[in-house]
Amino acid sequence: MQKSKFSWANIYLVCVFIFLYLPIFYLIFYSFNAGETMNSFTGFSLHHFSELFSDTHLVIILLNTFLLAFLSALIATFIGIFGALFIYYLKRRSHRNTLLSLNNILIVSPDVTIGASFLILFITLGTLFSGFSLGFWTVLLAHISFSVPIVVLMILPKLQEMNDSMITAGYDLGANERQILKNIILPYLSPGIIAGYFMAFTYSLDDFAVTFFVTGNGFTTLSVEIYSRARRGVSLEINALSTLVFLFALVLVVGYYYISKDNQGRSKKKKRGVLR
Amino acid sequence: MKKYNTLLAVPYFMWLIFFVLAPVLLVVGYSFFDQNGHFTLANYAEYFSSGKYLLMTFNSVWYALLITVITLVISYPTAYFLTKLKHKDLWLLLIILPTWINLLLKAYAFIGIFGVHGGLNSFLGFFGILPKQLLFTDFSFLVVAVYIQLPFMIIPLLNALDELPASFIAASKDLGASATQTFFKVVFPLSLNGVKSGVQAVFIPSLSLFMLTRLIGGNRVITLGTAIEEHFMVTQNWGKGATIGVVLILAMIVVMIFTGEKKVGGKK
Amino acid sequence: MKKPIISFRNVVKSYDDDVPVLKKVSFDIEEGKFYTLLGPSGCGKTTILRMIAGFSEPTAGDIYFEGKRINNVPANKRQVNTVFQDYALFPHMNVFENIAFGLKIKKTPKEEIAVKVKEALRLVQLAGYEKRGISEMSGGQRQRVAIARAIVNEPKILLLDEPLSALDHKLRLNMQYELRELQQRLGITFIFVTHDQEEALAMSDEIFVLNNGNIVQSGTPVDIYDEPINHYVADFIGESNIVDGIMIKDNLVKFAGKEFKCVDEGMRPNEPVEVVIRPEDLDLTSIEAGKLKVKVETQLFRGVHYEIVCHDEMENEWIVHSTKKAQVGREIGLDFDPEDIHVMRFNESEAEFDARLESYDD
Repeated sequence: MQKSKFSWANIYLVCVFIFLYLPIFYLIFYSFNAGETMNSFTGFSLHHFSELFSDTHLVIILLNTFLLAFLSALIATFIGIFGALFIYYLKRRSHRNTLLSLNNILIVSPDVTIGASFLILFITLGTLFSGFSLGFWTVLLAHISFSVPIVVLMILPKLQEMNDSMITAGYDLGANERQILKNIILPYLSPGIIAGYFMAFTYSLDDFAVTFFVTGNGFTTLSVEIYSRARRGVSLEINALSTLVFLFALVLVVGYYYISKDNQGRSKKKKRGVLR
Repeated sequence: MKKYNTLLAVPYFMWLIFFVLAPVLLVVGYSFFDQNGHFTLANYAEYFSSGKYLLMTFNSVWYALLITVITLVISYPTAYFLTKLKHKDLWLLLIILPTWINLLLKAYAFIGIFGVHGGLNSFLGFFGILPKQLLFTDFSFLVVAVYIQLPFMIIPLLNALDELPASFIAASKDLGASATQTFFKVVFPLSLNGVKSGVQAVFIPSLSLFMLTRLIGGNRVITLGTAIEEHFMVTQNWGKGATIGVVLILAMIVVMIFTGEKKVGGKK
Repeated sequence: MKKPIISFRNVVKSYDDDVPVLKKVSFDIEEGKFYTLLGPSGCGKTTILRMIAGFSEPTAGDIYFEGKRINNVPANKRQVNTVFQDYALFPHMNVFENIAFGLKIKKTPKEEIAVKVKEALRLVQLAGYEKRGISEMSGGQRQRVAIARAIVNEPKILLLDEPLSALDHKLRLNMQYELRELQQRLGITFIFVTHDQEEALAMSDEIFVLNNGNIVQSGTPVDIYDEPINHYVADFIGESNIVDGIMIKDNLVKFAGKEFKCVDEGMRPNEPVEVVIRPEDLDLTSIEAGKLKVKVETQLFRGVHYEIVCHDEMENEWIVHSTKKAQVGREIGLDFDPEDIHVMRFNESEAEFDARLESYDD
């Protein structure tokens, strides 16, 4: 069926992809501009990159952002694994559905609402316990919180796919609960767990609205920093940053692709037979 | 498995209580207090009687609706054509990639493109169109919002269309339906679940894109999201902010009910 | 011979420059008969079905429908309907809407649709199920809906792609009767694809046995069962004892170290051949009365008969289906008639095979 190279469908797709990528390449293109604006390209230069690397304030923010993403994803993954297991092993279907709905509240809520409600929560906690103030810890808690339900949702399908007789076989062969969890269930879930961690990591990197509400004066993430700089106008240092972010995203996406491909390989076999 | 599991699930329940239930209750609670900490219904009374808030609500819903409809119209053919291509995984990857770039960087790109001397104006200049202010207009706000939401609409549609067994299409043709009839009677009805999840993924976040209204809309397009941000971060009137938060939560519930997944038979 | 409704002439099908899945296939299909395409998966049977339905085009060769070439006629313009392996019932429509789909496309008047759907449901014994959702139906019921959805369009040919494979054994046997009856009542051509030889033997007027993209043998179930053309067919259709032998001369064949009278002719003297004897044609007897002396190795009770596995002195294995019981470890005799022996030549084509049989059959 692949006879025609030229078709309206392909032209349409090309247009959509141009729309999707033009702004990104526009940013990247001007990061190599010798001039100071995104309006005219006056010559090739890497000086915005050197500017970026010598901007210690920004580099620290960058490191903070990654540390935050790393930690919040890690903790959220741990909480999420056992949350998913608990939901899966609930006997009553209605209980399971209730818990799942509660789990999904933070996924479907608008992020401004999440940010505002967390702000209220932290301020309330602040009035109860002195010494509790907005900063790294509140941002970390917030990021863990909105990542947990994503991890749960990435792991649950894997659990549902799991063959229960595998666990029965484990008991039959004399394993105790801890051994079954460690040697059978967790290894089986690992593709889902890795995917969940990945998602949590990127949600944390990408978040702006929630962080914006719960971060104090002392702590900033990349998103918040870009927001405040962008409000002040164009600075090609941000373009240089974009170029790096794009390359990093490219690496991450390719990594994620291989993990999910590994996942799919197993589930694809179960697709129903199609007349061929 | 039971006891062991319950013990390990304790952090998960702490999370549920402290970070899901408590914040929702706090928002609802705060919406009943004024700035001096007295119980009041004035926040709601003002919200539903003042033209300013009602207009803002209408605006938010209207823009979110526009954004959702435009993304859907662009995305459906995209997803449909993509399912016909070889190397679908690779194309899906290319759709996903832009979502991994910080939203603010993408918004920032449009500041450059839409600027008076920016990319789009110089492009239009070739056709003799004089440069004009594109930034801080409704148009620019819509374009950027659609741009940001596009992948989140395409992905669920692509999944739904891709899951459609090829034998359904074969059966439809076998029974005499043309390609167009097959599309409208079989393909589209069976992809409705994808449409619903796409609408869910786009409509609710579109209600609260406050950073875009600030950066691109130039405060011209005031939405509920912007109002919450203003009440919490600028005017410090948390009661009013919380009231709008409650309205947003209700809007979300309404959308979830309307787009809730009805089980289409046959699938397990 | 009647005018064929479907003719394949040297049809080749290959995907992406691979080894062709169909290698120069030619055959005719007559109106009003029940045909079965029989073979293991990957033999090309479903490819033939898809080309008749119009889901794929031949790479080379021609397909004719009532004498007109239809290579490029799309599926929705053919008077052919299909019952799919996974039924492909539309999950967003109820039983009535599924069955009415084809009629609605053809802009049939509403009252007529109602009448026709009702009749189709009655034919598949699902009267009154109009309003049911597809997900509320059992596998067997879905199967019937799929058949009703196809026949309501009054096709000239009904194609069935392994439709019974998802059903349990008992339901499958029932459906075999029903399909056969339905075909005779409607009087249209059925082309049934399966890998199950029992299904093929039970239902068909005519069977095409396929292997590796070729039709190896075609004929009535009795012909194919009694006179398989080669080792492959003999083995695929029913259980067989196949041993090497030598055709001494017409009506005399040597195997298991002895010479036996048979009814086969037309081979070269002393030609190496293969000999087939069906397990039910072998009788247990005493060593003295038997034509072969064998030792009983194992015995299984199969309900209607005992399945007894023996070995002769040349280490050939003989499977016997007998209502009599044997004793494991004992030596016994096996008896059979000259007509029970079927001799097969190596690499004989179907045309040569038919010609040779013709020469001495009457």
